[in-house]
Amino acid sequence: MKRFRMNSLLTRRPALFALILLVLALIINFILQPNLFAGDTLNSNMRVFLPIILLAAGQAVVILGGGIDISVGGIVSIVNTILAARVGLEGSTEAMWQYVGISLLVGALAGAINGFFVAYLRLQPIITTYATSFLYAGFALFILPNPGGGIPASIAELYRNTSPLGLPLAFFVIAIVLGLWWYIQSTRYGNYLFAVGGKAQAAYETAVPVTAVQFSTYVISGLMAAFSGIAITMLSGSGNADIGSAMTLNSITAVVIGGTALSGGVGGVAGPVMGAITLGLIQNIVSFAHIDTWWETLVKATIIVFALAMPGIINLFRRRE
Amino acid sequence: MTLSLSARNVVKRYGGVVALSDGSLDVNAGEVVALIGANGSGKSTMSKVINGVVVLDGGQLLIDGKPAHFPSPQAAKALGIATVFQELSLIPQMTVADNVWLTREPLGAGGIVSRKMVNARTEELLALFAGTFKTDLRPDLPVSELPPDEKQIVEILKAISVDPSILILDEATASLDSRQVQRLFELVNKWKATGQAIVFVSHRMEEIFRIADRFSVLRNGKTVGAGMIKDITEKDLVKLMVDKASVFSFARKSGQKDEKPVCLEVSELQTRTLRGVSFNVREGELVGIGGLQGQGQRDLLLSLFGDIPFAGNVQYNGEPVHFRHPRQAMKNGFALVPGDRAREGLLYIRSILENMQLPSWMRYGFPLKIGKAKKDAEQTGASLNLKMASLMEPVSSLSGGNAQKVVIGKWLMRQPGLLLLDDPTKGVDVGTKAEFYALLTQLCDEGKTILFYSSDDEELIGLCDRVLVLHDGHIKTELVGAALTKENLVSASLGVAEGDEQ
Repeated sequence: MKRFRMNSLLTRRPALFALILLVLALIINFILQPNLFAGDTLNSNMRVFLPIILLAAGQAVVILGGGIDISVGGIVSIVNTILAARVGLEGSTEAMWQYVGISLLVGALAGAINGFFVAYLRLQPIITTYATSFLYAGFALFILPNPGGGIPASIAELYRNTSPLGLPLAFFVIAIVLGLWWYIQSTRYGNYLFAVGGKAQAAYETAVPVTAVQFSTYVISGLMAAFSGIAITMLSGSGNADIGSAMTLNSITAVVIGGTALSGGVGGVAGPVMGAITLGLIQNIVSFAHIDTWWETLVKATIIVFALAMPGIINLFRRRE
Repeated sequence: MTLSLSARNVVKRYGGVVALSDGSLDVNAGEVVALIGANGSGKSTMSKVINGVVVLDGGQLLIDGKPAHFPSPQAAKALGIATVFQELSLIPQMTVADNVWLTREPLGAGGIVSRKMVNARTEELLALFAGTFKTDLRPDLPVSELPPDEKQIVEILKAISVDPSILILDEATASLDSRQVQRLFELVNKWKATGQAIVFVSHRMEEIFRIADRFSVLRNGKTVGAGMIKDITEKDLVKLMVDKASVFSFARKSGQKDEKPVCLEVSELQTRTLRGVSFNVREGELVGIGGLQGQGQRDLLLSLFGDIPFAGNVQYNGEPVHFRHPRQAMKNGFALVPGDRAREGLLYIRSILENMQLPSWMRYGFPLKIGKAKKDAEQTGASLNLKMASLMEPVSSLSGGNAQKVVIGKWLMRQPGLLLLDDPTKGVDVGTKAEFYALLTQLCDEGKTILFYSSDDEELIGLCDRVLVLHDGHIKTELVGAALTKENLVSASLGVAEGDEQ
């Protein structure tokens, strides 16, 4: 019996599709922008991509565990408005780090609220987090009704110009995220995550603490959204309660093209990270190709629809055989 | 570690439905106790009470004589109570090894799961069933790629990897072939000798008498009898299970059918699993299809019904037919009772009426003549002795045997000429089985032709005019008349039959 199949290849190497897309996007971008790999360009690109990369990594964990988190954009907005409104352009560095700490706590708390609803009250993840996304967006508006505020210029400079060993800061952040993910997925908790996302009932019958695992994925996602919010605040240097609203769909798109199945239990974090970089490159391509920016939405939407349809298309051809 | 457990007067309700009203079970170290009952009698619920998957609403659990409470499966597992679930507790996307050791992974430095050890220990467990696999079963394969019997074995290995003090086998032999069952029973006897207690839940009488020491019978959620297996006969056991003693004896095949014309001619039928199958079936014949699981029996029935593509020639009543869609097969009077009732046979949340009329609605005009549809369904239901509160109840409210009657009923309403049955008595209680056997014989007498696959050898031998034994996509042997014995059937299934070799 032949055991090698397209499906099993994608199951075992879920990031393959993401890697192919990434390489493709890199080549096209390189043709349009030959200095793509120059230090400065690389640095400026990566610091723009980093917020979505962090968001996608957290989203991937929730989706692997069989859920979805539509509220991540709202959490980014809360963190952004807290930092911009509380620290201020004239604020001290100490105040900044203090509020970074508070932001992380707020992110984890927002995730815990999602987790409580989904895991303990057993509500539908997609509806629940859609509802809490408005709760969080509303809270961000409460903190900062009008765009403004900011963080000390020195902090923004730090984010912009730190490049250890001549490499972009984002590379090191990505390395830490992937390192942590590698560790997590090698532990027993990692197995629990895949089991709960794969088939929650079977996991329960095997004495996996299903509810606690589901809860934890939302806390992780909330925490990663807070990191993402901190990164985007350092990038923009100012506050806007609407900053996160467009990021949610991007995080989900990154996960999907990263080969992590929306049905849960299959995939990883490396693919979504590559997916997030690919999305950023597509944005670049659109701007360098001198075509109208509305194309970007269309291209991204086409990719997500195509990525969702991919398993079905493979199946269709197999049936024809 | 040895353990004794007893459940006393257990009550369990699901919403308004009482699954167990007064269930009791004693499990002692070093013995096999068979938990017996018709479908819907509460066997599965009883095992889920013991392993902590459901929390009981009343009654008591005693461990070594002391009251115990399992709020979750974790608590039961910690005491060494392991279960082979009827519906399997495997995660399809995860590998065999990861499934077996889930929650008990051997850890290395820093809490990292040692893949090497997980795989090595899984190899050791797989060795217990070595030689009974049809494919190369490796620890690193995803469970979703395994055939049903190997999934079942992985589920068994997963349970015994705990080195359990109490092992619950809930219909663990349903997907296994005779060789694998034999191996399992050898192992059960070994475990018994080391002091493990085994709860054996099954419908198969033959297996119960082979392996069990004691029995406990459930009927409608109540424990109605218990005792030693050696003190009871099969007939008495069945009497306990069903209210009225509808002990089944197979109506022997009804004489000569040679003069009837051939109605189905299949030649060189090929699919992904079938490699050229040819046979003829006469009108009114009941032809059995036997063999180990997964030798192409399912593909044979599905391809005849136009459900999967195939190559080869099929003639029905002298006309060549090659169905590409089940609709065409239905129009020609074919009917298929599929193997997986829950997935392929029924719409569980919809009413009995809708399920019964699903293939027939076009006959009731526009707008639908609901009154007539109800009357017809009522009639078919009554002729099948279908026990239901009303036609409007969802199929999910029925027990397994009654649900299967709905599947058969929906085709009988179309007056089919040829019935294709894919293991129709799997997971059906004895009472209903006996009714099925009578029904099949009656249908053949009425001139309907039946092609009948069963994983139960006794059924094939008792019911069929002839049995085609499939092995590795070929018809290995055809057994007729005096040659149709259990011994011949088993040896042909294993592919060791002499003669008739193709």
